[in-house]
Amino acid sequence: MGILTRATRNIARRKTRALLVIVALSLALAMIVSIPPSITASQEATQKTIDNLTTAAKIVASTVNMAATQMDCNLPLTLRTDAGPYHNETTFERPLMNITEYSNLTYVQHVTYVVPVLEQRAYDWPYTVYGVPLDDATLLSSYPILLPANITAGRNLQAGDSGVVVLHERIANHFGVAVGETVNIFGRDFEVVGIEGQEALNTTYATMSLSDAQAITNTTGQASTFIVFADSVDNVYAVKEQIVGAYPKLTVTIAQTLLNQVYQMQRQTNEQLQQAHETMNQIESTGIVEMGIITIADSAIILFIMLYTVRERTKEIGTLKALGASNTTILGQFMLEGVLLSLIAGIVGIVIGIFGATSLANILLPQPITQTGIGITTSGSGTWGGSGSLTAASISVTITPELMLFGLGFSVLLGALGSLYPAWRAARIRPAEAMRYE
Amino acid sequence: MNELVLKIENLTKTYKLGKRDVQPLIDLNLEVRRGEFTAIMGPSGSGKTTLLNLIGCLDKPTSGSVLIDNIDIARLPESQLYKIRRDKIGFIFQNFNLLPYLNARENVELAMELAGKFKGQRKQRALELLATVGLSEREQHRPQRLSQGEQQRVAIARALANDPAIILADEPTGNLDKNSKQEIVKLLANLNQKQGATIIMVTHDEHIAASAERILFLSDGKIQEKQA
Ligand SMILES: Nc1ncnc2c1ncn2[C@@H]1O[C@H](COP(=O)(O)OP(=O)(O)OP(=O)(O)O)[C@@H](O)[C@H]1O
Ligand SMILES: [Mg+2]
Repeated sequence: MGILTRATRNIARRKTRALLVIVALSLALAMIVSIPPSITASQEATQKTIDNLTTAAKIVASTVNMAATQMDCNLPLTLRTDAGPYHNETTFERPLMNITEYSNLTYVQHVTYVVPVLEQRAYDWPYTVYGVPLDDATLLSSYPILLPANITAGRNLQAGDSGVVVLHERIANHFGVAVGETVNIFGRDFEVVGIEGQEALNTTYATMSLSDAQAITNTTGQASTFIVFADSVDNVYAVKEQIVGAYPKLTVTIAQTLLNQVYQMQRQTNEQLQQAHETMNQIESTGIVEMGIITIADSAIILFIMLYTVRERTKEIGTLKALGASNTTILGQFMLEGVLLSLIAGIVGIVIGIFGATSLANILLPQPITQTGIGITTSGSGTWGGSGSLTAASISVTITPELMLFGLGFSVLLGALGSLYPAWRAARIRPAEAMRYE
Repeated sequence: MNELVLKIENLTKTYKLGKRDVQPLIDLNLEVRRGEFTAIMGPSGSGKTTLLNLIGCLDKPTSGSVLIDNIDIARLPESQLYKIRRDKIGFIFQNFNLLPYLNARENVELAMELAGKFKGQRKQRALELLATVGLSEREQHRPQRLSQGEQQRVAIARALANDPAIILADEPTGNLDKNSKQEIVKLLANLNQKQGATIIMVTHDEHIAASAERILFLSDGKIQEKQA
């Protein structure tokens, strides 16, 4: 029959009131226990998005930048007229360049590689012999785009290859050859090591080593194009200007569309990263503000209900004092009632939280953002990257034992906070006046 | 002659009501000996409740001294006064003032719990006291299930709980029917005679006052003894 019994019986005596208060407080406390894990879950979801974006940005940087830093240096096309079987035929021809004459290209600032390639049309059937230098393994591994992209049978060319060819599937069909068989190109036999599949934009190439291509077309020491790679997309224009300055006759073609796309993607990725970071901060600040509001509202509910209780029980307080209760006893009695009320609400709130934390989190906090996907397309002419769009995602939240303890502690704190002033008022009531109070 | 348990000297109480002062007690003197049963009568508003409140440490005198067992309570701070109320005074009120959420025994125990008595000891004494006031059967009943006379008897048991030096009863029969009145007064007189309880009782009723050995009149802020 101690102070605790008195507190419990007093709460039980006003069942409807206690029930209403407990319902209101428990909802609030359910929110209190749901907010911190929701913040964590939302931030984790968003952090994952940020990580994905960063990784994607890196992949895009390595693959797309490779293509976007590429520029082709040629001499302008010239017209060539030959006597055909029925009339003179006029064709465009790419003039060849003596490789040694252009050795200074290597020294242009921000240039990482200068790759001479040879493109020679075969006239018996419209396909093109394409020679790529195969003597530099580092070059090939850094810039795989130099080699055929879509190998459907056999293998691709590799460093050190000689006397072998990768055929476009149309050429293979034309000659009726398969991987492992031999094909005669420009009067010399080549072993077919791989077949390149048909794609929207690729050309019908018979790709082989540069020296083989030069040998069979009698163009040793010559190239039709210098493929120049800049060290970064930001230096492409500078490199182009320097090349044109040093070799005014050269036409320098840059991958303008691709470059623009890289720039746009960088912008987009940055924006998305910023957006994700903002969401993360927003989630936290919203959660903190909400917890603050709930704390204040909760203690206010307890404050008012306990003030009302104290007023209603003025006479009882007078009686207790007449019987010899100290001010401390009265203070303790009313604080205990407030704490008990809040604690019951806390327990109910935790139960609500266990079942409803996820729904509460989705109502209470800004939705974390996740990325729908990142896409990189590789086509014959280069690698195209594009990041997906950011969308809101819902999260799932669980109430851990630590959170339950936190919830209980918090409700005790709220109860104490809310009932402090009413209990202090109760303790200060003057007994003679309390006895007269009706 | 028994020793003095209460000695009041030049007691004045002034209430401030706006600009007007109400002074129900002026330079009042009173002595009460241990074991006395005193009745105080007087017109309404004469200051009877005020006097009991001052003796019971529920209120503070404006001037003068109130000595209970030689302790001047007029000079004690609240941090000491509650102990006097708890250990030296037993209150009986006109409308009983039992706690509605405690049963009869628990109401009696409450006074002892506040005094820090142990549970077993408390219960034992509460049952004894309920037997004394003739309510052994009603131990488990909450106040709303007791008659008014029974409620007042529980209140009397509660007032006796800590063996007080003085029992203060402010119109203890004021809210009771005729039969209950008689029972309560008989009970108080019995406690006085058999257990030597010191009782100061305020009443409007001459028949009730007659059962006390000493009757005082309060008027114009002063006490007058009625000579037998
Ligand atoms: N807290 C207070 N503030 C102002 N005046 C008060 C206060 N308490 C009592 N009084 C006044 O003091 C006077 C004495 O009141 P008290 O209650 O002591 O009278 P009483 O003799 O007990 O009357 P009754 O027989 O009606 O109970 C009255 O005039 C009352 O109005
Ligand atoms: Mg009175």
